[in-house]
Parts: sequence; structure tokens; C-alpha cells
Amino acid sequence: MSVLGTPPPSPMADVILSVHHLTKRFEGLVANREIDFEIPRHAIVSMIGPNGAGKTTFFNQLTGIIEPTSGTIEFDGTSVIGMAPHEVAELGIARTYQNIRLFADMTVLANVMVGRHVRMKAQWYEAVLGLPHVAREEAAVEQRALELLDLVGLPRRYADDLAKNLPYGHQRRLELARALASDPKLLLLDEPTAGMNPGETRQMTDLIARLRRELELTILLIEHDMKVVMGVSERITVLDYGERIAEGSPEEIRANPRVIEAYLGKQATA
Amino acid sequence: MRFRLPQRINLVSTILWGLRIVVAVLVLAGSWATLSSGKLSPDAWRELVVFGIAQGSVYALIALGYTLVYGVLFMINFAHGDVFMTGAMTAFFVARNFGESGFLNANPIVALLIIFAVSMLTSMLVAIALERIAYRPLRRAPRLVPLITAIGASLFISNSIRGIYGEQSQTYPSIDALQGRLDLFGIPILKTQALVIVSAVVLMIALVYFVERTRTGRAMRAVSEDKDVAALMGINVDRIIVTTFAVGGLLAGAAGILYALVFNEVDWFMGFLPGIKAFTAAVLGGIGNIAGAMLGGLTLGVLESVGPFLLLGGANVPSPNQLRDVIAFTVLVLVLIFRPNGILGRSEPGR
Amino acid sequence: MAELISRRQLRRVATIGAVAAVALLYLCMVGLIEAFKDRNVVTGVITLGAVMLLAVPLIAGYRAALLPRDASASRLAAWQRVLFGLVVGLIAGAVLGVFVVIASAVDVRGVLVRISPPLLEFLSFGLPSALAFLAITGLGGLTGALGALLLVSPVRIRNAVTSAVIAVVFMSMIEPLLRPRLEQLDYTAISDFVYKSHGLTEAAAILFLVVGAVAAILWQPANDLVRRTVDAAPVESRRRIRRWAIGVLVVAVLILPQVSGTFLAQVAVLVGLYMLLALGLNIVVGYAGLLDLGYVAFFAVGAYLTALLTSPNSSLGIGLPFFVALPIVMLGAGMTGLLIGAPVLRLRGDYLAIVTLGFGEIARVLFESDALQPWLGGVQGILGIPSPFPPRIDLDLGTMHIFATGPQVLYYPIFAFCALAAVFAYRLSNSRIGRAWNAMREDESVAEATGVSTVNYKLLAFALGATTGCLSGALFAVQLGSVFPGSFDVFVSITVLAVIILGGMGSIPGVILGAIVLIGLPELLREFVEYRVLVYGGVLVAMMLLRPEGLIPNRNRQRELHEADSEEEQETLDGDLMPQRGTS
Repeated sequence: MSVLGTPPPSPMADVILSVHHLTKRFEGLVANREIDFEIPRHAIVSMIGPNGAGKTTFFNQLTGIIEPTSGTIEFDGTSVIGMAPHEVAELGIARTYQNIRLFADMTVLANVMVGRHVRMKAQWYEAVLGLPHVAREEAAVEQRALELLDLVGLPRRYADDLAKNLPYGHQRRLELARALASDPKLLLLDEPTAGMNPGETRQMTDLIARLRRELELTILLIEHDMKVVMGVSERITVLDYGERIAEGSPEEIRANPRVIEAYLGKQATA
Repeated sequence: MRFRLPQRINLVSTILWGLRIVVAVLVLAGSWATLSSGKLSPDAWRELVVFGIAQGSVYALIALGYTLVYGVLFMINFAHGDVFMTGAMTAFFVARNFGESGFLNANPIVALLIIFAVSMLTSMLVAIALERIAYRPLRRAPRLVPLITAIGASLFISNSIRGIYGEQSQTYPSIDALQGRLDLFGIPILKTQALVIVSAVVLMIALVYFVERTRTGRAMRAVSEDKDVAALMGINVDRIIVTTFAVGGLLAGAAGILYALVFNEVDWFMGFLPGIKAFTAAVLGGIGNIAGAMLGGLTLGVLESVGPFLLLGGANVPSPNQLRDVIAFTVLVLVLIFRPNGILGRSEPGR
Repeated sequence: MAELISRRQLRRVATIGAVAAVALLYLCMVGLIEAFKDRNVVTGVITLGAVMLLAVPLIAGYRAALLPRDASASRLAAWQRVLFGLVVGLIAGAVLGVFVVIASAVDVRGVLVRISPPLLEFLSFGLPSALAFLAITGLGGLTGALGALLLVSPVRIRNAVTSAVIAVVFMSMIEPLLRPRLEQLDYTAISDFVYKSHGLTEAAAILFLVVGAVAAILWQPANDLVRRTVDAAPVESRRRIRRWAIGVLVVAVLILPQVSGTFLAQVAVLVGLYMLLALGLNIVVGYAGLLDLGYVAFFAVGAYLTALLTSPNSSLGIGLPFFVALPIVMLGAGMTGLLIGAPVLRLRGDYLAIVTLGFGEIARVLFESDALQPWLGGVQGILGIPSPFPPRIDLDLGTMHIFATGPQVLYYPIFAFCALAAVFAYRLSNSRIGRAWNAMREDESVAEATGVSTVNYKLLAFALGATTGCLSGALFAVQLGSVFPGSFDVFVSITVLAVIILGGMGSIPGVILGAIVLIGLPELLREFVEYRVLVYGGVLVAMMLLRPEGLIPNRNRQRELHEADSEEEQETLDGDLMPQRGTS
């Protein structure tokens, strides 16, 4: 059963992200070992695995926060290895964080508008001179930011509140709006439903599906909630101890003995 | 996980490399010029080194205060230099009284012990008050907030002392028993300098014993590892933090008297430069690291004493001693930029 | 019957009393009372020193009456609260009394240099020991009770009293501004009515008390009225009102030196120079969150570059005209900013602060050193910097006669630059650039991942801050006609920092207010000069503890345009599914 309105991607869909033999070592500890990974364009793909399996490390390498020890990451035909995070963002990868990280002392609207930063053109000297096209761009981005608030379901009346004063669920939505503001091609969601109750979780799941549909996004999410994972994703990759142990459709993963072993321990398979 | 900044930004790395090269060339050329000119006799060099060790041990004692506080609170107690100053300024009046009454020369050991005690207690009280009034309410504030508070506190303390004790500098009375030199393994050393070095070593040993062997010391280390866990284990974190400030204050007070022995003059502004230099020493050795603070203090003391003559003496730069502060600050800047974890530093905990 | 005062309350009252006592002793020992004891507020009635002393038990009494917040607090009667105030005042007064008695008997001046016989006589009202002790204690208790009484009295009365007292103190403080000007303009009658031998006359004091109180009573309704009128007005006319307000402000700034005379113009020039510095540092500290303690280096570079390029006496000796040199100076400044900024990019906030402090000190020592004396002039500095501005302006415009000399002339370019810097900073802060800086200040690594090149934006902040600082330095050099290394010590950096902290980091109105308060006010109180840095230190600590966002916090941009349509757009696509808290 799928909550999605769209059919799974057609076989001829091209690949937006391909990762080969990605390895990351931290002083003797291997966080990611020889990971091969692909995401078809417009797909929703999940990455699951027990705590410490190396999922967040994987995200951090995709976004340029840490550099891989070896391997390749190609996004839309460009290698992102060695790029600074802001360059990766400009290329079209946006992310959210497991423990929400907003710009706490800025307004909700300003948070979203920062997300738009890479798509804006105003230079500092143009801003200083107060050129008309700067003002036009500001107004357009503000409008766009408000629309994004609508899209993620954050009421506009919060727009001038400080981000730190928002209720928890809204903070998650704001983080999502900030990520969307850069018009990403690939959206990385790190446990988007963490800390939410079942009702909120269902809303978030619906929202993710709708975002893909309306913004033609590709989405990669890390998630612990199996309901979310099984409900929303077309393909699932399972990491354990830094290695990819399985990959396939939700049905295949559900039936995969290695996955069950990784999650429930050896007795379960016996 | 280290936050990586792009390596490809040319401007920045060019400037950094330029800085490295300029410093290296200056150091090599200056030393070569001085050494080849043979301006200073070996005895003069030895004199400079011993003086450097003496002033370095003063820096080391102050640096310990920075390091201890940084260890438990991860903040730079910018006002620590002024804690050091208050002790020396207050004890001066006791010393003057002893000097005038003749007690100082009749009974130098007892008199010195009392002077030490007064200075250490004063500094300790100021450090405790500082923690209680200025820092405790800000324990969970963003990092810059306590730092700005500390800067303000530093100005407030030094200018209060200026108002209360007056702004002229005071000269500590000299002690007859400490005049002249001591022959140590064939090396003549000024008695005051010997006393300074020995006292500093004794205090450092006492500190290491305190931190390593006593219950409170162990609690202190636990707090520096993780305040929340320490609190769960039944440690009174507030009390340990106060204790840390108190210990830092005691050491700074002692350093104040040693400083007075080396330099004779004390005034309300004397905390600023030694404070920053001691901070440099603490970072040089790796902030948060007790052995590092001692090592850093000695290193900086010697560098500062030998450096101006070694680097500039041969190049015929007029009054090289004027530039000793530049050397200290350059060391500070270079260490923070190129080796922020110091010689013995542990890596930054958390974020 | 409930006990008069619970044990817990007693302890709190005792603590406040002790703190007040320490504060009183501190004020005496640090010399503030001695410095202000001869400065009249109302001649023959009260001096500023006395006002300061009385303020301590007054505030302590107020605090003590405010204190009990436990369950029993609501049941405390007014007279009980006044009793708390009385006790606190008595404690503080008694301690000071004992101190005065001891200090009169034993000479403590060898250690506490400020405890002079005149001070002791002032404190003891010239009475013998026992009586003095009783008088001080009694006065303390009385003042404490008065403070408590203020708390229990209705808000309107409290405000009226506070405002009346502030009006009187303020009017007496601006005497050095007002009096010479009044006499110069031949309003001697007014001047004689208001001031008498360096203080207010009794009649004037009563007048200002009444004016202050009436103003306070009328303030609330007047304010409400204005607010209601403005709120009721349509957006268009609201804009017009704002434009008018700005226009009036501009005119006021323009005619100020004409009205006020040279003394205030001199003060205003100083305020303007610091305002410019603070606007520059505000970009670095307030917007980008980089605590730069070596900001004075840029001020110095600006001044020295100007001196080198324009003074015929400098080592360069080329004597360029000021406005030719200025672009070169600013370019040099920007480069210095990059040069200092680049190495510290990777440093954490607190290390950055110390390294920049180090840079500032290195700069000062180098400027001072004999080694660079042939080029930079060493301690003697560089003299003979020509001013590009005319020494005097004398214009006869028929009805208006404009005459200005010295600082009255220099005032205009300085404030023009300030206005320019403020507008530029305002525009930057409300643009993509300002947002990127703020994001970086909040969370550097998230800002980077969101697409902000933190390297570039840090460098930009340093370069722009440096340029503004240099501009101030250039004007400073012109104003003085010479530069000396002594003008560029670390206290300049600290002063500018205090200006920003007091006003509010990242807030341009805050910076302006901060500069006026911290630079302007001390100039009015000559006795105060010695205590400037003490007060700046106190301001830094107090603001961080009590109001870290500053007096005028930076308000994130208000979206006035969207206020109207926010109502119908509340119902968003699925926002109604979320449990909503509050309706802020």
C-alpha cells in the first residue's frame, strides 16, 4: 500500500546522485565502508540502520561538511568531493538536521530567506547603494518565503516571531521551509519525524510525499520510524556498522533476513 | 568531527603562508645576525635565560588559573590578570608596614609568609566574588556573553583598585636576606629569582597533588569531563566551580608576590599584560592542561626574555626591549592561529 | 498572628542590607563621592555626591520591599514592606556610620587614599562621632523606607517622583552646556534664575520637580493618544508621519551646533567619531558575531595613513589633499581588514577576541616603538596634518546669519559620514548580506550548509568594519591636526565595544544612543573623566547580566506590508492540523 499519488519512477528515470565505494575513517574507526548508492531522479529513498550505522556521516559527506577518505560522489554529473558546503548547497542539495538547528535569534521569515541565499544575486555594494533591483529581489524572495511557509503548513502569523519561540512541530516545518528555499534538486531529511506524535508524523509523511509531487524533488531520508519509511519510500538502503547490507523496495527489505538480523539480533532469524 | 573550511580559498591560504614565511625569515635572519655579531657574552645569555625562567614561573602560576577555569567552564576568565593584581596591590600595604617596622628584615621568613597569605587570600576572595556575581548567572549563555562580562569585570576591578589605592605605582620594600647571588652548581643566580622559581615549583607540586589525589580534585576533574554527569554522580557542581576559582585565585595571589619580588613595582594596571601573557602561556601549553600551563609559562617567559635580543639585537634595531611585548603577542597570535590546541592540548570537547 | 517577618525574609533583607552597605563603602573608597561631593545639584541643598549616596539605600529599600516572592508574599501588608526597606537602610547606614567613626579616629589614608578629612566631614555632616553615626544610620533607614514606600505607592506616583528627580538631576548636569550659551545669547535673566554658583537655585529646582512630575503624569495618556492616532491612520499617512519625523530629526541635527555653541559642538564631534567607530564595529560584532577587541588598530591605521599622506611633515612628505588621500586610506584600510581577518577566520569566538586584542596591541607598540620612529614618528607622532575644512564659516543669508568656527564646522562632515555609514549599514543589514551575517553568527556550520560562504562573509565584515573605522581615524587625525600613538590604546576598542553593548548589538539606533550616553555624558561631568573606564567596565558586566540585548534591541525587520493580509492567510494548506499554542 502506498500513500503516494504518483506511480513509482519509470525505469528510464535517470540517476541524480551516485556514490561509489565511499569510505570514511575516523582514526581507526570506519564509519562508512565502500558504500555504493544511487538515487533515481524524483524518487523518495530511505536510508535506515541502527544507531551508529554511519547514516549521518554519510549525509555529512554528501553535503561537504566532512571529506570522504576515498570513493566518489557524483551529483547531477558533478563531483562534490572537495567542495565546500556552501558550494554543495548552491549545486542543489539541501538538508535538515536530526536535532533541529535553526537560526534561533532570527525571525521565522529571515530563516527561510537565508535558505534562499544561494539563489539571490544582490552583491554587497549593490545593497549598500540600495539599487532598485535589490529591492525587487528582496520583495520577491520575501513573497516566495511566505509561500514556502504556506507549503510546509506554518501559519503566516508566525513569520515575525523568533525561531526559538516556535513550538517544536513548527520548528521542524521551518527547517524544512528553509531547506526548500534554495530550490534544491535533492533534499536530505535527517529523521524528519523524530519526537513527533503519530498524528504529526502522518502529516509530515503526507507533506514529504506532496513536496516531491509539487516541487519535483528527489528526497533522501534517514528515518527510524518504520511506518514512515515503509509508507513513503520507493527504495530503501540499510546500513549496519558502516556497510550497506541491503537495498531494495520496502517489501524486499521487510523480508530480508540480514536486515531483520541487524535490527533484532541473531535469535530472530534462527 | 571537525568543521572543514575549504582549502582552496587562495587569498586566505596565501596570507597564512605569507605570515609563516615572514615569521620564519625574521627569526632566522635576526638570530643569525645576533649570534654572528657576538654582541652578548655567554654570561649575559645565561642571565637572560634565568630571568626568563623566573618570570616564566610567574606566568605559569597565573596561567594555571586560566587553565583550571577553562577546564571546568570552557570560558576565558579575562579578569584573571586583575585577580592577580589585587593580591599584589593589597599585600603591598602589609609589606610596606613590615618594612617600616623592621619586621621584614628581622624575621624575613615569617614576614614573607604573612605577605603571601594576605595576597593569596585577597586574590581568592576576589576570584570567588567574580564567579558568584558575574559568571554564575551566565553559565548557560552563549559563549561570547561571559567573555564580554569578563572583559568588563577586568576593567571594573582594575579601575576600582586604581580608585581605592591610588594610581601611582608602589615599590615593594627590599629584603636584605634576598640580596645578592646564590651559587647553584657553579651558576650564580640572583637570590630573589631562585626564591621565585622554588616557590613556583612548590605551589605547582601542591596543585598537582590537590588535583590528582584529593577528593575535591577528583570531583574537579569529573566536572571538567561532563558537568551533567558529575551532577548526577552527586557532585555539587557549583561548589566545585567556586573551588576552582578559589584555587586559581590563590595561585594568582602567590604569583602577585613573586612578580613583586622580580619586578619590585606594582600598580593597578599590572594585571593586563601579565594576564594576557599568561593566557598565551596557557594556550601555548594547551588550555585545560595543567602540565601544559607550566610548560607554556616557562617557554613564554624565556622567549620573551631572550627573544628581543636574539632576534633584534644583531639587526641594530633601537631599544629592542621595547618590542618584547610584540614578541609575546606575536607568539600569542601565531599559536592561536596555527596551533590552537597547544603543545600538550587535548582536542576541543564537544562543539 | 503571623510572625512579623519570617526567617527566610529576614535573611534576604539582611543580604540586601549587606550588599547596600558594601556599595556605600565602595562608592566612598573608590573616590566617586569625593569627586562629586562639591558638585551642586541644588545649590546649598544637595550635591551630586549626596544624591549618589542616597540612591543606594533608596534602591536597596525598593528591592527589599519587592523581595518576598514566596507563598506568604501576597499577604504582606504595605507597612511590612516599608519595614523591610527601613531595616535595609538602617543596616547600610549603620555600616557606613561605623566606618566613618573609625576612619575619623584612625588615619587610613595611607591605604585608602580617598578617605580624606573633607570627605569624612561631608559624610558626618561635621557632627561629632556618636551623633554622626546616629545621623548616618537614621538617614539610611529613612531613605530605605522611602524606597520601599515608592514601591507600595501607586505606579503613577512612583513614575512622577522618579521623573521629577531625574529632571532636576539632569538639568543640573547640563549646566556647563546651557549656562554659557544662555549668557552668550544675553538671556542672563533666565540663566540667573536657573543657576546659582554651579547648581540649580531652589526656585528652579522646584520648577523642574513639578515639570518632571507633570510630564510623567501626562506621558502615559499622551503616548496612548499618539499611538492610537498613528495606529488608526492608514499606511500612507503613517509613512508620511515617519517621513516628517525623520525630517524634523535631520533639521535638529543640522542646526544643533548653531544653537548650542562651540562646547557642545566639540562634544558632538567626539560623539560622532565614536559613533562612526561603533557603526563599523557593529558590522563585525553585531551583525557577523565576530568579537573584535583590536578594532582600535583600524582607527590607528586610518589616522596614520591620513597623516602620512596629507602632512607635509610626515616621512612621506607628499602632502596630498585630504579628499585625494581619503580613497587611498579607505583602500588601505580594507586591505588591513582582510590581512587581519584572514588569519583569524578559522578561530572560535573567544580565541578570535584574544587574537584581535593581540593585533591591536602589536599595532600600538609598533606605532610607539623607536624602531619605526623614522617612518611613524615614534612617541612624538606626526604633526601638521592640514584640515580640508575651513576654520570658520561666515554666511549672511539675509534673514539668517550663519557663523561657525572650529568644531562647529567639523561637526557637519563627521555627521554626514555617520549618516552615510548608518544608512549603508541599515541597507546591508536588511539585505541578503545582513541575513547571511546573522545566520553565521547564530550557527556557523548550518549557515555554511545553507549556502553562505562563511569565509567570504567574514572577510567582508572585517573589510567593511575596517573601512568605517579607518574613516573615523582619518577624521580624527584631521580634527586633532596630529596623531600620537597614545591615542590608540586598547581602551578605545573597549569603549566602542561598550557603546555597542549598551545600545544593543546589531541595532543602529542603539549604537547612536550608546555613543551619546557613553561618550557625550561624561564630557558634561568633568569630575567623571577619571571614572570613565570604571563605568564602561560596569556597563559591560551589568548589560550582560541584566539586558544582554541592549537598551534598544535590534528588531528584526517588521513586515508592515503584510500586517493587513496576514489575517485571511492564516488558514494554510494543512497548518490547521497542528496543535497551536498561543496566538503571538
